[in-house]
Amino acid sequence: MAIPIIQVKNLYKIYKVGDTKVYALHGVDFEIYKGEFCAIVGPSGSGKSTLLNMLAGLEKPSKGEIVIDKVHIEHMTENQLVEFRRKRVGFIFQSYNLLKTLNAVENVALPLSFRGVPKKKRNAIAEKYLKLVGLEKQMKHMANAMSGGQQQRVGIARALAVNPRIIFADEPTGNLDSKTTMEILKLMRRIVREQQQTLIMVTHDNHLASYADRLFHIVDGKIFKIEQMHHEDDDLEENEHENKMEESPDSVDGGPDGSRDDSGHTDDGQGAAIG
Amino acid sequence: MRFLDLLGMSVNNLRRRKLRTALTVLGVVIGTASVVVMVSLGIGLNGLMMEMYSSYGSMTSITVYSDGGRYFYSDSGSSAKEEENFLTDDTMAQFRRLDHVKAVSPVLSTDAILRQGLYETNTNIEGVSREFLEEIPLGEGQIPEEGSTELKFIYGNAIIRWFRNSKTGVGFWDGEPPDIDFMNKPMFVIFDTNAYYQSRSGSSEGGNVKPPKKYMIEAAGVVEGTADDYNNYSYSVYAEIEALKAQLKRIYKKNPIPGQPTNKKGKPYPYFIYNQAVVFVDDTANVTAVQQMITDMGFQANSQMEWIEQSQQTYDIIQLVLGGIGAVSLFVAAIGIANTMMMSIYERTKEIGVIKVLGCDLGNIRNMFLLESGFIGFIGGVIGVTISYGIGFAMNNFLGIAQAMTGMAGDISRIPLWLGASAIVFAIFVGMAAGFFPSLRAMHLSPLAAIRNE
Repeated sequence: MAIPIIQVKNLYKIYKVGDTKVYALHGVDFEIYKGEFCAIVGPSGSGKSTLLNMLAGLEKPSKGEIVIDKVHIEHMTENQLVEFRRKRVGFIFQSYNLLKTLNAVENVALPLSFRGVPKKKRNAIAEKYLKLVGLEKQMKHMANAMSGGQQQRVGIARALAVNPRIIFADEPTGNLDSKTTMEILKLMRRIVREQQQTLIMVTHDNHLASYADRLFHIVDGKIFKIEQMHHEDDDLEENEHENKMEESPDSVDGGPDGSRDDSGHTDDGQGAAIG
Repeated sequence: MRFLDLLGMSVNNLRRRKLRTALTVLGVVIGTASVVVMVSLGIGLNGLMMEMYSSYGSMTSITVYSDGGRYFYSDSGSSAKEEENFLTDDTMAQFRRLDHVKAVSPVLSTDAILRQGLYETNTNIEGVSREFLEEIPLGEGQIPEEGSTELKFIYGNAIIRWFRNSKTGVGFWDGEPPDIDFMNKPMFVIFDTNAYYQSRSGSSEGGNVKPPKKYMIEAAGVVEGTADDYNNYSYSVYAEIEALKAQLKRIYKKNPIPGQPTNKKGKPYPYFIYNQAVVFVDDTANVTAVQQMITDMGFQANSQMEWIEQSQQTYDIIQLVLGGIGAVSLFVAAIGIANTMMMSIYERTKEIGVIKVLGCDLGNIRNMFLLESGFIGFIGGVIGVTISYGIGFAMNNFLGIAQAMTGMAGDISRIPLWLGASAIVFAIFVGMAAGFFPSLRAMHLSPLAAIRNE
């Protein structure tokens, strides 16, 4: 964990509204290491989405530095940014953003086709990742013939398929009910662990954020607090979880595992049984 | 991104909105078909004209006259300079040396009276070279064999019109077709027409003029067509020139041959002087140049090309106007494509943003939309050309438009392969041009639109 994969130094984003300047980000510094699951949490309008957009190269900072994988991205042209995202970044959206005309496999294979991977090879990769997210039965389903949870699983598989250095997730559970939210969250955490991926999630929900290894609380464009979380029993739980997945993938909920968090949320009810 | 993947995505997007795609394609179909049909009419008219001209005679031949015009006058004032301009065997050799000249034929005209049974006529015999004879389309018989010195005639198919019954004066025009068979019955020919008429008019002047000798000349062939058809060879009688010259020398011996010019002293020249010459050029493209060279040598020359070039210009303008009318509808179709692409991009703003976030190259996004609009052009072009062939077929075979418009039989609508192929290529080009600015717009859409949540 010695090498930071993301370094942010003194980052500013200033919008001009008429004559007044609005500071969406007001001097942000932090580092994120490889294999970390980080959450950026804050109320709406705090600048957390702006921060994520800039990390993913979708918006340009007004001032400051962003170094990702030893590369400065703040001065890249649009073409370079597209290439940077194609090679290094996976993205999970709040509203899934699958292509409606394509089925699950084709959606997952889409970013690979941008890299020029031949069809056979990329479909094989897509199928592998769809299995990983538990959708082996829905591979040929069209995107809009699936439930929200299933669509987001496809979204996760799509982000993973390119084997990126970093995955960004923008309110990935914002459109899901609480049960599915837990499923998705557990899935993401499990996969991040297994694949040694770096995941940065933006959310406004403190409880969801507490599933991350580290929490960046952001208020009014400044980092207000960085919280280190300890999930001591995670590995054990994940193993249990995986065994259950194999038996009956559809019946596995976030329920039992969600309980061991230090944050002390016990929304699920079942958490109390283990605690 | 691979080309096939790009194409697949584009076609997929078109399939998603079948009705809109079909309507846009329909516009291109109408545009392409109108351009192709209009241009094919232009080509057809031009072709009909060329066929008409070539039916009048060879398009690669140039007729040359000496400066004095068709007839020579043996007047005293003729200068030495004019003498140089006589068409003689030397001049023939000069013409033969010109570039692109395939063959040269002198034309030696002489009057003669033809007589078969009761019917007779006074006509013109034209002595020409073998190359000339070979150009004549024969309905019956064949040209005299090479090396034969015997004088034989080839009759124009309309010559029969001139014959009259010598007793009653009734001829072809009075509704009584002369009973003449060129090929199978003997034809008597009188070359010395002056002597003939003098002997006929009787004792009024010089008393007894001995009637000139009659010769029986065999027919070698008849030009194709009936007496009512017309072509360049219909109204003449042709003979091989060397045989004709030999015949004339036999008849007139040392006396001047009628029609041949004389020098200041009233003596004939020791060589034949031709009334005309015909120069055969290897290709229609060189006719004008050769004609110019002959004119520069001090002769008068004309050819079908003069007329053809003039009417070609007219037809070029007609073709331009017709094509322009067609192009207007193709232009409207192009606006339709641009509109469709714009709508499609507005609808897919989010999708375009998503693929940008996922790392789709900007050039690929532009190409995706260019391919989409190009594909609309391609489909429209193919269907349009197919329909054009159908329309052309109908016009040629069922409507009789060619007959009504030009009075000529033949195909009025002609779509050569190059026209069909270039129409499709042009339709693709129009589609891509129409889709160019929309595709640039798609390329520059903000990826942020994708993650804006609605």
